[in-house]
Amino acid sequence: MKKYFYTDGTNYFGPFTLEELREKNITRDTKVWFQELDEWKPAGTIPELADIFKFVPPPIENQNSNLNNMENLIYQKPPKKWLLEAILVTLFCCVPFGIAGIVNAAKVEDRFYAGDIEGAYRASSKAKLWTTIGFWIGFTIFVIYLIYFVIAGAVIGYY
Amino acid sequence: MVIIKILKWSIAIIFMIIFSILYRTYNPSENIYFPKCPFRELTGLKCPGCGSQRAVHYLLNFEIYNATKENAILVLSIPYIMIGLVFDLLKRPNERILKWRKRLFGKKVIFIILTIIITFWVLRNII
Repeated sequence: MKKYFYTDGTNYFGPFTLEELREKNITRDTKVWFQELDEWKPAGTIPELADIFKFVPPPIENQNSNLNNMENLIYQKPPKKWLLEAILVTLFCCVPFGIAGIVNAAKVEDRFYAGDIEGAYRASSKAKLWTTIGFWIGFTIFVIYLIYFVIAGAVIGYY
Repeated sequence: MVIIKILKWSIAIIFMIIFSILYRTYNPSENIYFPKCPFRELTGLKCPGCGSQRAVHYLLNFEIYNATKENAILVLSIPYIMIGLVFDLLKRPNERILKWRKRLFGKKVIFIILTIIITFWVLRNII
């Protein structure tokens, strides 16, 4: 007769016959061991114990953990959304690029709190792209004018 | 990597100092050497960013009223951007900070910002 042991994580109990084990109120997550096993395994994964759980509904942990993740999102930091930089680009240089940045910043926020983390990161890199394009255009124009300013100043200074 | 970071920041700070001295000393409206707004050159209409160079000139001279007359949303956006920077710099925000971050910089507020910018754009060309 095969003898089964089960554990609550600290102590183990047994040996039990299959009939005795049936009365111990173990769950699918309870770790059990018998001679053929190398290590403790959840009772739900062992075919010959499936009989015990015939009338127990399967766990709903998947949906639960998803729900927990959604709740946890509120307490996590979303990816960088480039909002401040995009506002500055809008006001100092390039309205279209700045607005594209701001719209993508809104998408980062929207997707992140809807649980679409990957989408949030995609929107984040788009926001970064538009904002940096705007920044470098503005910066280049500024430097060109700066050089022009210095040369013009030098020329005027000569005469 | 650290050296590149220091280099980047020192270049940025040098440019910011040059920028500040230039814009503090010269008034862009009295000087032809400052960049012009391409949108205004082409259409004759003001864009949301028009007047920001003059506004910066007045801000650097602590003339907030004149700066507001040149570009009101630029002046208004400064405290908002400052707060945003503080929020971004916090490495390990707690729940309360994140809740406020979401309130102040969330999706709704971003759409309000967009609406303000576009309304400002339209209104400053009508009035």
